[in-house]
Amino acid sequence: MANLTINEKNEIIDRYQANPEQALNILVDLQFASTDGYIDQKTAQLVAKRVGVTETRIYELISFYAILKEKTQARYVLKICNSAPCRFSGEPLVSRSLKEILGVNENEMTADGLFLYHGIPCVGACAQTPFIKIKDRVFPNLTAQQIVQLISDLRAGRYPAL
Amino acid sequence: MVVRNQAVLTARFNKLQADPTDIDAFCQLDGYAGLKKVVEMDKTAVLDELDRAVLLGRGGAAYPAGKKWRHLFYAKGQPKYIVCNADEGEPGTFKDKTLIEHDPLAIIEGMTIAGYMFDSPQGYIYIRGEYRNLHRCLRKALVQARTANFLGENILGITGFNYDIKIISGAGAYVCGESSALLNSIEGKTGRPRVKPPHLADVGLYLQPTLVNNVESYANIPVIIREGGAAFKALGTEKGGGTKLICLTGHVKNRGLFEVNLGTPLYDILYSEKYGGGSSTGRPLKFIHFGGQSGPIGAVAQLKDCLYSYDGLWANNLAIGSGALVVMDDSVSIIDYLNSVAAFFAHESCGKCTPCRIGTLRILEALEKFQKKEAVPGDLEVFESMLTHVTQLSACGLGQSVATSMVSSLKLFPEEFELAINRQTAEQKEVLW
Ligand code: SF4
Ligand code: FES
Repeated sequence: MANLTINEKNEIIDRYQANPEQALNILVDLQFASTDGYIDQKTAQLVAKRVGVTETRIYELISFYAILKEKTQARYVLKICNSAPCRFSGEPLVSRSLKEILGVNENEMTADGLFLYHGIPCVGACAQTPFIKIKDRVFPNLTAQQIVQLISDLRAGRYPAL
Repeated sequence: MVVRNQAVLTARFNKLQADPTDIDAFCQLDGYAGLKKVVEMDKTAVLDELDRAVLLGRGGAAYPAGKKWRHLFYAKGQPKYIVCNADEGEPGTFKDKTLIEHDPLAIIEGMTIAGYMFDSPQGYIYIRGEYRNLHRCLRKALVQARTANFLGENILGITGFNYDIKIISGAGAYVCGESSALLNSIEGKTGRPRVKPPHLADVGLYLQPTLVNNVESYANIPVIIREGGAAFKALGTEKGGGTKLICLTGHVKNRGLFEVNLGTPLYDILYSEKYGGGSSTGRPLKFIHFGGQSGPIGAVAQLKDCLYSYDGLWANNLAIGSGALVVMDDSVSIIDYLNSVAAFFAHESCGKCTPCRIGTLRILEALEKFQKKEAVPGDLEVFESMLTHVTQLSACGLGQSVATSMVSSLKLFPEEFELAINRQTAEQKEVLW
């Protein structure tokens, strides 16, 4: 979590009064605030200490909940839906296109560390399939052409907030 | 007055478009009329209204809300907690998300009515991690409610009516939609289900009596109080009152969220321009997966006279579940479709109990074999008994419903399974132990 200072991390923890009840909120917020997209060990230790539980307990949460990651992620993690409603109504266009454009398989990072795409269960955007979700943002009803465009825009840094 | 064929839960959606958390606008549109009325009522009369309304739980299990509330009302122990399950994760479902986006205060009002009824100090909204952008909207709505003294201390000027609501984020675990897993998750633990009984109304959050209801259920509560149980029931049918938010996805022209009166003809929902608008692919519609991945499958051709209501679907061995309707055309093989369903469950099983942890994998393997047309005589029987094992032996609702779609498909499309079996090969018998 190179981009977050210890103060910034503490600020996020304080937002939830370091309440163990809010450990998940804290971890999710920390991960979303970091550019590496995962909880590193130092951060896990900090959270453990601040909310007053063991480090093991924090890692138990990280490994149980799918959103939380313990390894560094690509700069842009492209989430696509792998649940049945989407899979049978347009989603394959996205996985096929991404494989072609990026030249990697699902769950493999591109050599430049920029992209990784992976299937996750329904995110509630089933009426907008085919879509790609990056962090909180859904790019809905995509055509093959728009997927190409999105990737080149991301490469060019046109979505700094993501 | 509410009448049929008129928006009820979605009535404020357009009017609050500028800012769904605007509490003044909300109050001008009947907002908080339910809460204001409830504090004037006798609490047991409120329970009677709920019974009269026949509100069945909108999360999927269709448990009568009146019964749940009554149970908690008479449960011993204080404090009691109010929990809103916003961990919407049933594939093909986005109605809770839409409600939170467009009318968050309706949910908050429903939860506050519950807070009043049970003298609860604290409510929790457990919202799934993938809905992070909605957290902001909810947080804003809570701030507005606090500022207007609809939350906090001495609400509505009533001494001792102290109640507030917290938001807790999930982080990507379907099983947390199961009420007891959800409570564990709020307590900061991994979200695995608890062994039941005891009932959560007796031993829930932090071992205290707890009410867990779905987002849409809470949004219905102010309507019931405002309009009365009988009027609410009249919006639906004898066995289930009110309207239902439904999510149409798959191969229909108009995908999206709709509000329908319970009792609307299913074919209207599929084919009328007002709702689904018919097939989007030009091919005939083949089947509908109802209520999420844990729900049953129905063949479109057999449902011509079916009404979309609890009783109407039950009569066809179907169920409303979450309100999802995943509609597939005749290009989709049922075996391919079920493979996807099975993969979902194998991924989401929390691993606590063996029948579900191992069973979901075995089911997936069997379906993959069917898909490759590599099954041998006997495989189908083994598959069917595996479905029975997993359904009967699993500890929670997740494992118990894995097989629902498969059991209905076996009945509806036996020929597709038959085609997957190579009858030239030797028979395989189930190995009993
Ligand atoms: S049935 Fe499945 S999800 Fe439920 S407790 Fe058992 S393993 Fe976990
Ligand atoms: S099924 Fe794909 S987003 Fe819902």
